[in-house]
Amino acid sequence: MEFDTHFFNEFADIISQQDGYALGRTLSPDISNESLRRIFRSQNAHNVKNALKRGLQGNAALVGGLEHQEVQGWVDIYASYWNATGVLLTAREATGGTGKTSELVWTKVYEAWTELLNVLIRGYQNSGFEAWTIPCLYTVCKHLRVFAMQADEERNHSSAFDDTAAALQDDFDPETNKRQKLEDCARALSRVFMLCQTDRASLEESRKWGSYYIANLLLKTYFKLNSASLSKNILNSLRVGTRDMPKFSAFPKSQQVTFKYHEGVLAFLEENYVLAEECLTEAWNSCYVNAKKNKELILTYLIPCHLITSHTLPTKKLLEPFPRLQKLFLPLCRCIKRGELHKFDLALQEGEDEFVKRRIYLTLERGRDIALRNLLRKVFVARGFEEAKEGEKPARRTRVPVAEFAAAISLGSQEKIDNDEVECLLANMIYKNHMKGYISRQHGIVVLSKSGAFPGTGV
Amino acid sequence: MMPTWPTVPPSGAPPTPGYATSYSAPAFTPVQVRQSFGQSYSTPQPPYPAGPTYGSSHSSPTSAANIPPNVTPAPTVAQEQAKTKIDWPDSVRRYVQRAFVPANLDSNVSRPEMEAKLKETITQANEKGVMYSLDWDAMPLPQQMIREERARTLLPLHSKTETQTSATSTKKRKSWDLNDAATAGSSSGTPPWRVGANRLEDRVTFSPDTRQPGDDPFKNTTSKFSRADKRQKRHEGEYKTFREDTPPPSDGPVVGTCQDLEKRYLRLTAAPKPSQVRPPQVLRQTLELLKKRWKKDQNYSYICDQFKSMRQDLTVQRVRDDFTVEVYEIHARIALEKGDLGEYNQCQSQLKGLYRLGLKGKANEFKAYRILYYIHTANRAELNNALADLTAAEKKDKAIKHALDVRSALALGNYHRFFQLYNDTPNMGAYLMDMFVGRERLAALCNFCKGYKPDVPLRFITEELYFESDIEAAQFILDHGGQDLLQDRDGTIVFLSGKAGQRFEAARAKAFSRVDIKGQI
Repeated sequence: MEFDTHFFNEFADIISQQDGYALGRTLSPDISNESLRRIFRSQNAHNVKNALKRGLQGNAALVGGLEHQEVQGWVDIYASYWNATGVLLTAREATGGTGKTSELVWTKVYEAWTELLNVLIRGYQNSGFEAWTIPCLYTVCKHLRVFAMQADEERNHSSAFDDTAAALQDDFDPETNKRQKLEDCARALSRVFMLCQTDRASLEESRKWGSYYIANLLLKTYFKLNSASLSKNILNSLRVGTRDMPKFSAFPKSQQVTFKYHEGVLAFLEENYVLAEECLTEAWNSCYVNAKKNKELILTYLIPCHLITSHTLPTKKLLEPFPRLQKLFLPLCRCIKRGELHKFDLALQEGEDEFVKRRIYLTLERGRDIALRNLLRKVFVARGFEEAKEGEKPARRTRVPVAEFAAAISLGSQEKIDNDEVECLLANMIYKNHMKGYISRQHGIVVLSKSGAFPGTGV
Repeated sequence: MMPTWPTVPPSGAPPTPGYATSYSAPAFTPVQVRQSFGQSYSTPQPPYPAGPTYGSSHSSPTSAANIPPNVTPAPTVAQEQAKTKIDWPDSVRRYVQRAFVPANLDSNVSRPEMEAKLKETITQANEKGVMYSLDWDAMPLPQQMIREERARTLLPLHSKTETQTSATSTKKRKSWDLNDAATAGSSSGTPPWRVGANRLEDRVTFSPDTRQPGDDPFKNTTSKFSRADKRQKRHEGEYKTFREDTPPPSDGPVVGTCQDLEKRYLRLTAAPKPSQVRPPQVLRQTLELLKKRWKKDQNYSYICDQFKSMRQDLTVQRVRDDFTVEVYEIHARIALEKGDLGEYNQCQSQLKGLYRLGLKGKANEFKAYRILYYIHTANRAELNNALADLTAAEKKDKAIKHALDVRSALALGNYHRFFQLYNDTPNMGAYLMDMFVGRERLAALCNFCKGYKPDVPLRFITEELYFESDIEAAQFILDHGGQDLLQDRDGTIVFLSGKAGQRFEAARAKAFSRVDIKGQI
């Protein structure tokens, strides 16, 4: 692509066909250096606006019936894009060879790209761009985020840059400084989100169709910034807006899956496991079959959800295609299944760093309850049956000394645990309905229910 | 510290006839009055009488006893009062009581209006720190202030306003003249502390060029326009802005030259003046002085104020070193001891950044506090983040390990372990744990009620839940409506857990749902 007659004709075609995605592609920076160079060399700073104006007006206005203001808007956008290609080219060439430069070239790319986004936003606000063009926002926003991360990384690895400017600020959290550009990007994205969300045009031509795409980018960014709490605002805005929004199912599947995933994870973080399970299941069901990485991500949270809501563990078959998940979950699952309390603790410790990083540690920890239940159940089963009275089915022996449970609990760790603590654990099991019965402290025994002492486990 | 309100007599106070007729009763039931005050103004309280360490910070229940017989408060109000942590000066109490004496009530001024005015008056006094120095006895009553305000808004012309106010003024009017700025202040109805706020002007630097005469809020209060005039003007769009322009960013940190050890805290509204900022070497002496005074006087409002001004001086000079850390740490500890979560959180969030800069201080101690705090507020997301930030070495630190163990014990419902940990808390973590130990006791009690039949000795509860004594344990049960569940059996008191059913569930749910969030980190 270069800014020549061919491009102007293509632009006119796109406009007349109202092909948003094709239009979005014309603003992509994701092209070879060669193409970048061609675009950049096809014009110069002095002429670029005039050339674009002539070209776009000559073709597009006639074919697509663009208004004068719209044309002016596009002229500004492509001029800004042209400028960005130049900066990007410099950056790529500078980092291409040695990988190191003395200058912060990616910061410059980020800035040039931000300018492009601003011009684009202005196009919607002032020049009356139609809603079918929103894929342009997608393209520009998507890459803004990438450039922001690149700029942050470059700055953090660059010794040339020192913190003097930041040190003078009142807000001095060094962590914030490390992610300066990404935070800036989050603010820009949230502006775009509002731009989409607050459009009052009728649904067919509303920018609200862009809400979920931008929301997804924004959520992704917030997650990266570790400020998942900010995501709440996005969700609320979408929730409040649902009445005036197109139906969720009318959005592209890919956007639905991404959104549901994020919504699910947010609910998960707030311990709303029921909602989390619902969202994640929806994401799981709609997820593209071969999107392995996405499926893996969904399962990372869906499996702990199931452990909490229905005490179920993943099957081997489910985990088969995901070696990473196997490594993550299988050791724990084995311990839970077998009621090996001590080994469970060890496995949890073993995987702690990874679990914490994925924010599933606190949830998996609660699997200990299930492991404990299974252990207690074993004790109960091992005690066998009362002597059967004639003609009756033999009944299990339901009066279990606390000491026997205590022995079972300390079996793995070989550490003595005092009876009061055992009683505490038992009372907890009873309270949480993992076990039916009561403790008689006077006699030091647990009296278990004759029917279904361990609900849901068949005894 | 957020002020709690001094006793406002409940609406049970004998109403004047006019008052009774003009207002429907339901709006003034004692319950509603108390609720509205409790929700928005009470300091965060543990949902029930908290552990032993907490007791000292409660003000004595005399606040309730001080009320004259004609305005007997409902018992609920008295209880609420007993929990407040601000020692209201007697002068303020008298002022409030005076406002509600039937003879002083004005049928034209509604009670909510009066209460709002009272609140405003006292809050402002408290914020300005003049609560103890104001002559409350000479202060005009809220109903008078409201009347005067009304009179002013009714009369658009300034000259009339003046005559009107002076006509309605009583001998109480004197208090307006407390400051010599009274002439300016009284004409536009500025309360005395507002006039006092004019001192702000003396204390901050305004660069003359950035200030347009019309933009100055202080000038406006003393300008020849009456309020009504102003409103009219605003409608006509003649007033562009009521706010000052944002001052231009300064070139660099201020270098202070002030040599005074003590300085009152005042929120800056303009660039700081070097002559009023203390340099670090002076602040070091200040800190020593404050430490001594805190040990000696235990006057929290003084200490808090001084620490805030010290923090401000450090901030404007951009001093971020070990000393800064020390100041924040000490203030955080004192705030914690006094249950001032607002200040505590401010300190903590600064400390978080300071530690990240690589400053040492007592990072582990405060990380442990942070974890405990997240447990208290049940902030799972932040707790997750805090866990992710810990290094392996930090996890082995005594205080942090304790906090992590507390978290894990609670997550697994292991109250036995939790209360053992409670009994052995390093540093000042117990102040934080006090905030949620009550709700955990309730949770454990619920467990007992479902898990144990037919009964357990009271002593068992005392020991498991680490009550100081059987009496305290019994009191806890009584407080939550378990009168009939305690039984004396041959000299030992037993708790009839089997009969309790769902008795404590509601209280438990309530305790867990109510987590105040203030100045969140």
